[in-house]
Amino acid sequence: MTQKKLEMKNITKTFHQDKILSELTFHLEKGEIMSIVGPSGSGKTTLLRILAGLEKPSDGKIIMNGKDITKQKANRRSISLVFQQPLLFPHMTVKENIVYGAKVSKKYKEEKVDSLLEAIGMVRFQNHYPSEISGGQQQRVALARAMATEPEVILFDEPFSSLDPSLRQDLRYWVRDFLSSRETTAVFVTHDMEEAMIMGDQIAVFEDGNFQQIGTAETLHKSPANLRVASFLGGHLILNDHEFAPLHDVQVGTKKTVEDGVNFQATVEHITYQHGRPIAHLYVIDLKKKVSLPFDGTFPSREVQVTIPTDSIRTFSGETL
Amino acid sequence: MIRKKAWFLILTLLLFVIPLTALLLQSLSAPWRFHTGQGLDWGWQGYAILFENPQLWEATFISIGIGFAVLFMNVTIGLFTGKALVSYAYRGKAWLEALLLSPILIPSLAIAMGLHLFMIRIGLADTIWGVMLIHLVPTVPYSIKIFHNSYQQMGKAMMEQPHILGAGFWTQVFTVELPLLRPAIRSLTFLTIVISLSQYALTAIIGGGRVLTLPLVFFPFLDNANTSIMAAFSIWFALIPLSMYIIIEVLMMFLPYSRLPWRNHR
Repeated sequence: MTQKKLEMKNITKTFHQDKILSELTFHLEKGEIMSIVGPSGSGKTTLLRILAGLEKPSDGKIIMNGKDITKQKANRRSISLVFQQPLLFPHMTVKENIVYGAKVSKKYKEEKVDSLLEAIGMVRFQNHYPSEISGGQQQRVALARAMATEPEVILFDEPFSSLDPSLRQDLRYWVRDFLSSRETTAVFVTHDMEEAMIMGDQIAVFEDGNFQQIGTAETLHKSPANLRVASFLGGHLILNDHEFAPLHDVQVGTKKTVEDGVNFQATVEHITYQHGRPIAHLYVIDLKKKVSLPFDGTFPSREVQVTIPTDSIRTFSGETL
Repeated sequence: MIRKKAWFLILTLLLFVIPLTALLLQSLSAPWRFHTGQGLDWGWQGYAILFENPQLWEATFISIGIGFAVLFMNVTIGLFTGKALVSYAYRGKAWLEALLLSPILIPSLAIAMGLHLFMIRIGLADTIWGVMLIHLVPTVPYSIKIFHNSYQQMGKAMMEQPHILGAGFWTQVFTVELPLLRPAIRSLTFLTIVISLSQYALTAIIGGGRVLTLPLVFFPFLDNANTSIMAAFSIWFALIPLSMYIIIEVLMMFLPYSRLPWRNHR
């Protein structure tokens, strides 16, 4: 039987009359990793800070293991938060930073620190100061320090955003494996959809202070709940407030390719390469929308026709969960 | 680069090394009258006369005691006020900051006159406690400013990190904040001790002449034509903040996670 580890009930946060979170409700089961994805400034960080206890919600409850922890201080909660910056203590060595986490949470064991150092591959650098190691190594130490407190839930606030792309990719898989091998419940906040898909079992699209949809990457792509989810995912051509077409069904050519379909005029704005394939960035004039889709071959002219077969047009599911 | 170094050397020689050497030489010789064409007449008279003064040691120890007490109070007040100023956002913060700086904008003598009456009423006039308190007037605004800036530089996130890991308030202050505030404590040590040591008027008014500090002993010497004694006194005066600074530096080595030779395992 699965057990609810962390629950948020009707959490609301207002700041100077602005509603940042609006009656947010969700729960996490033990060992589950949830990615929260959304545009910058949508309130994701505020949500994490409320969960961690760094900020108080204006209304609502946070329940952990069946107990109300809304009024508990951050240092009393069994929740750890890894910030965007590693924030290692500059006057402590790598090992001391990890030991510090273990000691202040009263969970210090020599073997645990050693095994964490080994897990993050920093045994050789254990006596180095943070300024003497690279950004990726610092972020790994920050994670080990957070893990040393043996938190029941660990929160990540865009922890890889300050790293270079190749390092980010390595670290994503490393953290994911690290968390699942320890069955740690985690919430992972990012504005990068790809990162959200790698890190989370479930993905929650967060915008305007509320979850627009929670589901697996597949569910989100197959049946986006609404226009916001679809436009954030970027895998669909949004036709209007109710209808969309998956990008893989969209056909591009110099003239209309199917008889039974909708047709739009578009211009090729730019061509870039991703995963070895050319990507065409089109501006669909009739819809006043930009779409990016992979294509093979070349376009003979800048003006193209975008065709969507009628049976590919779908309506938004409207289901948040 | 070479030009910069040359300028540094010239300025150091002109403003620091030469005057200090002259002071040192003067303290170890009879007053030098260069126009007579005679050289320096070496001797310890300057120091001998200085140490003959029966009040010198008493004044020195009282000054050091007051200096340390003022420093301790400054660190305590500055630390928590600075931290609060960085941690909380509220309306009228700029006004509060200006208000906290105001004691250095108003002549301290004016404040001392008013506070004198108050201290007489509560029985602090003519006591060492009264003098310690009045020395806070010209020093506390600076310490608040110094700690405020240092906390700001440390950043709010760095202050939240130990809290998230589970550290309590005091653990956080001693293990993370104080070690990172070392440069601030250093600046404050020099500033506070030098300001406290050089207060004549404030000490004379509130201490009523009963609390004897070095400036009170020093001032009568100013009329003296014997430059050797003055030089000896100046060096004695300068040695006090220096030795207090060394003591503070040694004490700071006991802060957790200090970078000490025997703590570096590499």
